[in-house]
Amino acid sequence: MHTRKEVLAVLDDVLSLKGRSSRFVDTTPLLGGLPELDSMAVVNVLTSLEERFGFAVDDDEIDGTTFANVGSLVAFVRGKLGT
Amino acid sequence: MKIRQEAFFLPVGGVDRFCIWRAPEVASEIRGLVVHAPAFAEEMNKARRMTACAARDFAAHGLAVLAIDLFGCGDSPGDFGDATWEIWVGDVVAAVEWARARAEGPLWLWGLRAGALLCSAALPSVRQPASLLLWQPVVSGTQYLTQFLRMKLAADMIGEARDRGGVKRLREMLQRGLPLEVAGYQLSPKLAAGIDSAEFAVSGELKGRVVWLDVSTSQPGSLSPATRARIAALQSHGVDVAARVVHGPSFWQTVEIEECPELIEASVANLRRKQERELSPHTTLL
Repeated sequence: MHTRKEVLAVLDDVLSLKGRSSRFVDTTPLLGGLPELDSMAVVNVLTSLEERFGFAVDDDEIDGTTFANVGSLVAFVRGKLGT
Repeated sequence: MKIRQEAFFLPVGGVDRFCIWRAPEVASEIRGLVVHAPAFAEEMNKARRMTACAARDFAAHGLAVLAIDLFGCGDSPGDFGDATWEIWVGDVVAAVEWARARAEGPLWLWGLRAGALLCSAALPSVRQPASLLLWQPVVSGTQYLTQFLRMKLAADMIGEARDRGGVKRLREMLQRGLPLEVAGYQLSPKLAAGIDSAEFAVSGELKGRVVWLDVSTSQPGSLSPATRARIAALQSHGVDVAARVVHGPSFWQTVEIEECPELIEASVANLRRKQERELSPHTTLL
């Protein structure tokens, strides 16, 4: 499964990036780098990831570092999927 | 068909609710009745444009549509912090009663997100045959409350305040009777308890169809396993369910205000199908 592609699709949808995510690389910062990523958006990204990949996220699994950049978020999803 | 739009206040239990009625200008062209149960908190605001566009389109296709702002929400009086789940269910029932007195034809309850939970809770008190039009319905109040409470944790996360108690601690605070402020909304323990115990269910008394429309950005989209299981359960109880995934943005949660025309088209197609079936063969058309 193209985890990275799917994660970027979720970010693009929820944050209304209009395709900007296609230029994202692993080091692209998320929290602090994307003004669109407020608390509601963080939760909506998590909810969308849960629904799209079919896993459940516990509160203690995530903190600011999960959303540090694209690479950390993709790594988190891969970890959840066990891939 | 030309439509008429009318904004007014509907008194429920002595307090007004802001409502918008959209219907074909010529009353004899009304073929059915749709009452909208809105989404919760910020999702309602994000979706306001979409639901207004849809309501106008439904009206242009011969349906009379009533949209109500629930107590403490939108342009209705009252504080969000004083709202309860029971008040909101009562608002939907009051909206149906008002609309029914104004127009004939098959009744649809149209719920967006948590509005689907309100529709399901209102059904027993509506006491007339109804069908449900569900847009990306929330089916578990417990899960939804958890997602809402997470917003508070996310705000702490962004602010780098370390909150290690998680949603569990927030739920405990509510259970102790303490209100929480989440994403600018004052959530009362009573409202939280109401949402927590809400679960989507329809019984045999529905006497109508369920049209379930989910929205996905992937093409072709597919129903999630959780949705498929829920629909199978409804069907096993003899409920007539039509389900589809349409392509479009998650307009109830996107940062910008977005539209999803496919969702409106799919809705109109289903709302009209129902009318055609009901109009034949015993109804004489002029």
